[in-house]
Amino acid sequence: MALAQFEVQTVPAWKTLLIKSTRGAALIVGIYLILYAFYAYQQPRALSASSFASLMNNTAPLALAAAGQALVVISRGFDLSVAGVISICNVTLAVYPLEGPGGALMSALLCMAIGLTVGAVNGVLVAVLRLQSIAATLATMIICQGIALVILKAPGGSVANWIADEMTGRLAGVIPVSGLVVALVIGTWLLLRRSNFGLSLYAIGADEHSAALSGINTRRVRFLTFVIAGAIYGLAGFMLSAQTATGNPTAGTPLLMLSFAAVALGGTSLSGGKGGLFAAVMGAAVLMLLQKVLFSFGISSFYTGMFQGVALICAVVFSGLLTRLGEVK
Amino acid sequence: MLGARHDAARAVGEAHSVALLAEGLRKAYGATVALEHADISLAAGKVHALLGENGAGKSTLVRILTGAVRPDAGTLELNGSYYAPQTLIEARSYGVATAFQELSLVPNLTVAQNLLLPDMPRGPLGLVSFRRVLEMGSDILARHGLQRIDPATQVALLPLAERQRIEIVRAMENASSLLILDEPTAALAETDWLFDRIRMMTARNVAVLYISHRLAEVREICSDATVLRNGRSIASVGLAEASDDDIFEMMVGRRVDHTARNRAASRLSDAAPRLSVKGLSGHGLKDISFELRPGEVLGIAALEGQGQRGLFRMLAGLTVPERGAVQIDGLPTTLSSPRQALRAASGIAYLPEERKTEGILAGLTAATNVVLPVLPGAAYAAMITPQAELRAAGPSATKVDMSPRYLDFAIGDLSGGNQQKALVARTLATGAKTLLLFDPTRGVDVGTKQSIYAAIRAFAEQGGSVIFYSSELPEVVQLADRCLALYDGRVFQAFEGDAIAEQALVAAIHGHAGGHH
Repeated sequence: MALAQFEVQTVPAWKTLLIKSTRGAALIVGIYLILYAFYAYQQPRALSASSFASLMNNTAPLALAAAGQALVVISRGFDLSVAGVISICNVTLAVYPLEGPGGALMSALLCMAIGLTVGAVNGVLVAVLRLQSIAATLATMIICQGIALVILKAPGGSVANWIADEMTGRLAGVIPVSGLVVALVIGTWLLLRRSNFGLSLYAIGADEHSAALSGINTRRVRFLTFVIAGAIYGLAGFMLSAQTATGNPTAGTPLLMLSFAAVALGGTSLSGGKGGLFAAVMGAAVLMLLQKVLFSFGISSFYTGMFQGVALICAVVFSGLLTRLGEVK
Repeated sequence: MLGARHDAARAVGEAHSVALLAEGLRKAYGATVALEHADISLAAGKVHALLGENGAGKSTLVRILTGAVRPDAGTLELNGSYYAPQTLIEARSYGVATAFQELSLVPNLTVAQNLLLPDMPRGPLGLVSFRRVLEMGSDILARHGLQRIDPATQVALLPLAERQRIEIVRAMENASSLLILDEPTAALAETDWLFDRIRMMTARNVAVLYISHRLAEVREICSDATVLRNGRSIASVGLAEASDDDIFEMMVGRRVDHTARNRAASRLSDAAPRLSVKGLSGHGLKDISFELRPGEVLGIAALEGQGQRGLFRMLAGLTVPERGAVQIDGLPTTLSSPRQALRAASGIAYLPEERKTEGILAGLTAATNVVLPVLPGAAYAAMITPQAELRAAGPSATKVDMSPRYLDFAIGDLSGGNQQKALVARTLATGAKTLLLFDPTRGVDVGTKQSIYAAIRAFAEQGGSVIFYSSELPEVVQLADRCLALYDGRVFQAFEGDAIAEQALVAAIHGHAGGHH
């Protein structure tokens, strides 16, 4: 092709590399690997299949919550309803346990349907009625938490045994099922990303006005974004229930702020148009692994929040520095 | 140029079918009528210019034609059949596409993706095929002689001129019956490429609507023109028959009345300059020098985006100049913040452009808004009481003819005119001897305008100096002792005293020398 010879400006290779490392998930994956090395050094058992699976089980709910959140953040929005959806799913599974593999499938679909419904409400409020996403989803979050309390007044109930056992188990003794669920979501995202919807998502996140003038149906894209995100939160609620095996009407609340932290840690700009789902999932993984590492160093869990916050600041500052280095002309 | 005129004249003679016919288009946003009554007729295969001053309704007309807004009244016909696009995509399906003035490219997508939005070519699995996107993108670029642009580059990384070219190419790819180019040369240094492309489009019998404030360019490529003024289409003329003066007169609308008015410049020209600007550059401004004397009102006339915003923001201390020096009362000064500008020597007070976002504090009373810069002066034993604010705000409010009873209302509840009066009163209350007024009468009624003019004149007669920019030329003519016409970031022409006439200014701000000099 003729175009290669006509390059206007040549960017030095190291700069391209820098830009790429800040765009993709390379940075956060690197941090994860380093952290895992620390963990394995401290706790040689960390390399065993069972402890990896238990780490995965701990990570999956937050990873899925962060994945859904990342979708909304890329489109330049915020979704607080994640906490409400997870809570409703959790109490529903604890109050109406459905046994057996068929029951598990039904439960998973039920959770996703709950998420879809809440997401559709968010979508109407934000895309059609043009409310600010943070205000609209704050309202739906409060409503969902109210619904969760109506379904289950106090912590209790018990999730179906099949779900609690199998979804936290290992396939062929090696592959953690929770990891497969997360991988499934990432895989779907990789397909979605290569669709008109995927491109439009990044476009409206960067510049909604230009996107509209370019012929993108911004309303439809925004609506779909909330709906898909809601379905992923539903899966997060499902996986959380499998892990805790019990119901709690405020189960989703701790994941709310951490989902934003994971998204930011993964390098997804909170101002939209940049980042990805995989990076957000890795951000969640780093946050959870950090807990384990701190624990293995014998640091009291009271300090976990402090360390997570500091890690978040460091990661954002560091990725900002890298970006600036890469983009300086 | 002569040859081009000849071509245009010949084109008029040929029979061309009507591609687009618009009659009685009207669009109002609330109480503001953006377009009152516009008729326009575009012939297939010809380039038609749309001319008019800022705010004449050009953009609204474009938005209607391209399906971005729907008219309140009026009819559109495209190639003889009813045309009422509800969306941009629908307009595109009729072969109507626009290269927007503000550029509508999505910055974080690649050139190729932008060219193909919103529907990407797909591979066998129904997924977007990046390879085919790149291929199709580079085909399009090659078709338009832009092989030098890599279709895989992110748009945000391209220089502005290339982005403008891509915007134009995208519109051309989608326009099979009508192509609208809104200020297509704003970022282009030369027109050869663009005119080549336009001729290719007209050869395919596409009608082209060309909007530009550069008349020389319009004459070169367009055969006919429609002039809009105050939301009405005034006339459609063959460009070969209309002189520049005719066109400027149609745009301005009337002969300028030279009412007697005593201008202060000659009286005070010996006084030492209060403000002296040398070689100021940056933020769209290129090497501007001027002096401002006590008692003088200096008008800045310019089209949108010729550097006037940068000039005011730099003098107000909001942005930092790249080069150049500013002296106030003969002392070299670095203006680093509005607060510092206010305190530098005899002081510079700034009336910002955006009343709603940069000017008023909507929840506070008008009195508080007026005395804000001088709060310590209104304080009694370091306590500021509403009564003290009212007392301090009173004199300034009187100067702008603002009724004192409005002073204890929340400013957000007042009319736009009274808000603006309060803001002018605020700049007067600062006690600064130099006022920077950016479009001081934008969007206010005639009565308020007169009050603000009177306040400015009174301020100047007491030895104050004023620099103001106005988007309305009659205002410059009425108010200024001296006037600088900015064009492309430079002082294109300076006018003094009675030489400040509307038609000469129109020519100068469009970059045409030799008005009445």
